Amino acid sequence: MMWLSGGFIFRKGTSRYHRLDPRVKLLISALMFVTTLIVRSVFQLAILLAFMVAVAAIATVLRRVARTMALTATFSAFIFIINIIFTRNLETSALYASRFVAIVVSTSLFFITTSPDELEQVMKMFRLPRDLVFAFVTAVRFIPVMMLDALQIMDAQKSRGLELEKGNLLRRVRNMIPILIPLVVNAVVRSGELAEAMESRAYGAVPRPTSLAVYRARTADRVVAIFAVLTFAFAAYSFYFLLPTFLP
Amino acid sequence: MIELRDVTFVHENGVKALDGITLKVDTGETVAIVGENGAGKTTLIKHVTGLLKPTSGTVLVDGIDTHTTSTATLSRKVGVAFQNPDHQLFSESVKEEMAFALRNFGFPPHLVEQRVSWGLQLFGLEEYRESSPLVLSGGEKKRLTLACILAWDPEVVILDEPTVGQDAIQKEKLVGTIRMLGSTGKTVVVVSHDIEFLWPIQPRVVVMKSGRIVADGPAPEIMTKKEMLESARVAQPQLVSFYQALARRPGSPFVDALEARRWIEGGQR
Amino acid sequence: MGKILEIEELSFRYPEATRKAVDSFTLDIGESQIVVLAGPSGCGKSTLLRTINGLIPHMYTGDYSGDVRVAGSSVRTTSMRDLAQTVGFLFQNPENQIFMFTVERDVAFGLENLGVPRPEMRKRVDEAIGLLGIENLSQRAPHELSDGQKQRVALAGVLAMRPKLIILDEPTSLLDPKTAMELVDLVARLRKELGTTFVVVEHRLDLLVRVADRIVVMNAGAKVLDGTPRDVLFGEDADGYGVSVPAVTRVQKMLAKDGLAPDDRLLGAAELASVLEGKGA
Repeated sequence: MMWLSGGFIFRKGTSRYHRLDPRVKLLISALMFVTTLIVRSVFQLAILLAFMVAVAAIATVLRRVARTMALTATFSAFIFIINIIFTRNLETSALYASRFVAIVVSTSLFFITTSPDELEQVMKMFRLPRDLVFAFVTAVRFIPVMMLDALQIMDAQKSRGLELEKGNLLRRVRNMIPILIPLVVNAVVRSGELAEAMESRAYGAVPRPTSLAVYRARTADRVVAIFAVLTFAFAAYSFYFLLPTFLP
Repeated sequence: MIELRDVTFVHENGVKALDGITLKVDTGETVAIVGENGAGKTTLIKHVTGLLKPTSGTVLVDGIDTHTTSTATLSRKVGVAFQNPDHQLFSESVKEEMAFALRNFGFPPHLVEQRVSWGLQLFGLEEYRESSPLVLSGGEKKRLTLACILAWDPEVVILDEPTVGQDAIQKEKLVGTIRMLGSTGKTVVVVSHDIEFLWPIQPRVVVMKSGRIVADGPAPEIMTKKEMLESARVAQPQLVSFYQALARRPGSPFVDALEARRWIEGGQR
Repeated sequence: MGKILEIEELSFRYPEATRKAVDSFTLDIGESQIVVLAGPSGCGKSTLLRTINGLIPHMYTGDYSGDVRVAGSSVRTTSMRDLAQTVGFLFQNPENQIFMFTVERDVAFGLENLGVPRPEMRKRVDEAIGLLGIENLSQRAPHELSDGQKQRVALAGVLAMRPKLIILDEPTSLLDPKTAMELVDLVARLRKELGTTFVVVEHRLDLLVRVADRIVVMNAGAKVLDGTPRDVLFGEDADGYGVSVPAVTRVQKMLAKDGLAPDDRLLGAAELASVLEGKGA
C-alpha cells in the first residue's frame, strides 16, 4: 500500500522538471521505458538506472524514487529466483529482474511529477473519450478521500472489538469484510451524489467542453524534448551496437 | 476512570493536535467537550480507546495504560459512537450488526441473543430486526450504532458529534438517552460543537482550543464566560445570553445569570 | 410578476413507494428572498428540492403531477442544461460535489460543461472566487481543505453559473456554530449584492432567523406552515412539527402566558432582555 502510494501518487513540486509540459514528461518516461527493453546486459541496465536516478535528482524526487527502487527490488528478487529455477541462467535472470525495477521507476517518475490536471490534459490531447477522461480524473481526485474513509472505517470497527492484526491468513482476510463493505457502500453512495452534482452543473450539455487551463508548449519544453530524443537515440545505438563489443 | 496526564500528540506532518492535555474524568460523570472544528476534540477521544497513542504523556483507562493495550481490548470498557454510522454498518441484518461487537468480545451465544433483543427494544428498532441496516434512515442508523454499543455494556460511553444532521425531535430523544446513561452510573463523554442541545443536561464542560484545554468546570459556570467562549469560537447557548443580558440591565432585580434563570423558570414573579 | 419560483399543486411519488413524497405542494417565491424550508426528517424536503432544480423528473422518474416553474419556464419541459443556468444546488456534503483536483478548475466545471469560451469563463471564475473570498485557495487541492472551505469552493462553482435561484441543502450541518454564522452572513450578503433568491433547508433555525424573509414548514410531504419568521415561530403549531424553535422565542411564549411578554415579538436575546427590563422589575 505504502509502496503504491509512494511510487505513484502525485505530490506538488516546484522543480523545473515538474514545470515541464506534461507531454514532455510523458515522452521522457516513455523513452526510458523503451530503453529498458533495448538493453542487453545488466551492466547497461545499471547505466540506465543511474541515469534515471540522476533525472529523479533533477526533479527533486530522489528520495521517493530511491524508496520505490528499493521496495521494487525486493519484489524483483522473487522474479530473479523464479527465472533461475527455470532457465538456470544467472545473466538473463538478473537482467529480467532489474528490468522490472527500471520499468517501474520510469513509470513512477511520470506519475509522481504529473498532476491529475496535467494527466487530464494529456488524455484529452490523445483524443480519449470525454467520459473516460472525466471518470479517470474524478477517480484520482477521490483517492485521498477514500484512503481517509478506509482509515475511519478501520477506527470504527476496531472500536467494536475487531482485531486486524491477529490471526492466521484466513481470519485476517475474513476480518477485512467489515472494512470493505462500508467502503464499497460509501463509494456507491458517493457515486450517486456525484451524479446528482454533475447533472446539476450541466455535465454533458455540449459535446466538446471548453477548458479553463491552457497548455502551451514553451521553447524550454521543445528543447528538452529534442534533447531527450537525441539522448535516447544515442543510448539506444550505444547499448544495442557499440557496448556489447567492448564489455560483457 | 479516564485520565490523561500531560498528553501531547503530534501528527506525522508535524502538526501538534494535542498540547499538554491533563484531564481526569471520574466514574459516573457526564462530561461535554466543546470547541470549534479542529480544536482537537476527536483526537482526544481517539486517545482514550488507543486508536492514537500519545507522542508524550500517558492515557489511563480504569488504571490501564493505553500505550500497551489494543483498541479492541480497551473498547470493551469504552464504547465510542463515531459521527458517521455509514463507516461501520455492514451486516446482513440489524440483529447481526448488533451481534458483531458482542461476538468480538467473546459473549456466549445465548447472552448475545439476550443483549441484542434488549438493545433493539430499548431503541425501538425491534421492527427492523431482520432488515438490512443499510436501508434505515439517518436517524435510525444513529440509534442503531448507539444500540450496538450499549449491547456490550461498556462502563464508558463516548459520543462524537451526535447531533450532526439531526432534527429537533431526534435531539430531544438524544438528551433523554444521555440522561438515562448517566442515571445508570455510566461515565458519559459527549463531544459536540452544538452548545444549545447540551444546556438542559448541565454537564461538566471542558472547552478546547488549538489542542489545549482552556476551561473546565460545571455548565452554569463555563457557559456564562462570554469572552472565553468567544475566543474559543464556541457559541453561547441562547438562553444564557439572554439571562446575562437581563442580569446586566441597570435596575435589574437579578444579581447574576443564574438568578435570572431561576426567576424565569421558577415562574416567580 | 417577477416570481422566481412557482410550485403549483405539486405531487410526487417515487416508483417503489406507497405514499407520496410531496403532496399537493404550492409555493411562490419572488426575487431576492431568503426562504427557509424546515420540517422533521423524512418530511419530503430533499425530494421537493430536487423538483426545483430538475433532478426530478430528469434524473429521477416517478408519479409526477402539478407544475414547477422557475423564472417562468416549466421544469418538466426545460432541459437540465438550461435549468443549471437558472437554479444552483449546493448539496449537503461538499466533498461529493467537487470533481477537479484544483479549486479553480472545479469552480470552472459547470462553465466548461456549457462550452463557455475561455475569456468569459476566466472572468466568471475570478468573480465567483472573489465573492466567496477564497482567492488564496484557488490553486489548492480539495483534500487539503477544511469542510467550511470546501463548502465555499462548491458554492463558488454554483455562483459561477450565475443562477437566479440557489438551493442550499442543510448547509450548516457539518459546520461548527461560528463557521455556520459566517456562512449565513455570506448568504445574506450575496442576496443583497446579487439579488439571488435562496431556498435553504435547515434544522438549525436559530442561525437563520435573523436573515430569513420567510419560513415554510413541511410535514409528510405537505406544506403546513408558511409565513414570516415571527409568524411561524411564535405560532401555536411550530413545536408540533419538530421545528427547532429558538430558545429566545420559547421564553417569550412562556412569558406571554403571564402577560409579561413584550408586544413586539423579538428574535434576539439582547433585544428581549432590554425590553423586559422595564416589565420585570
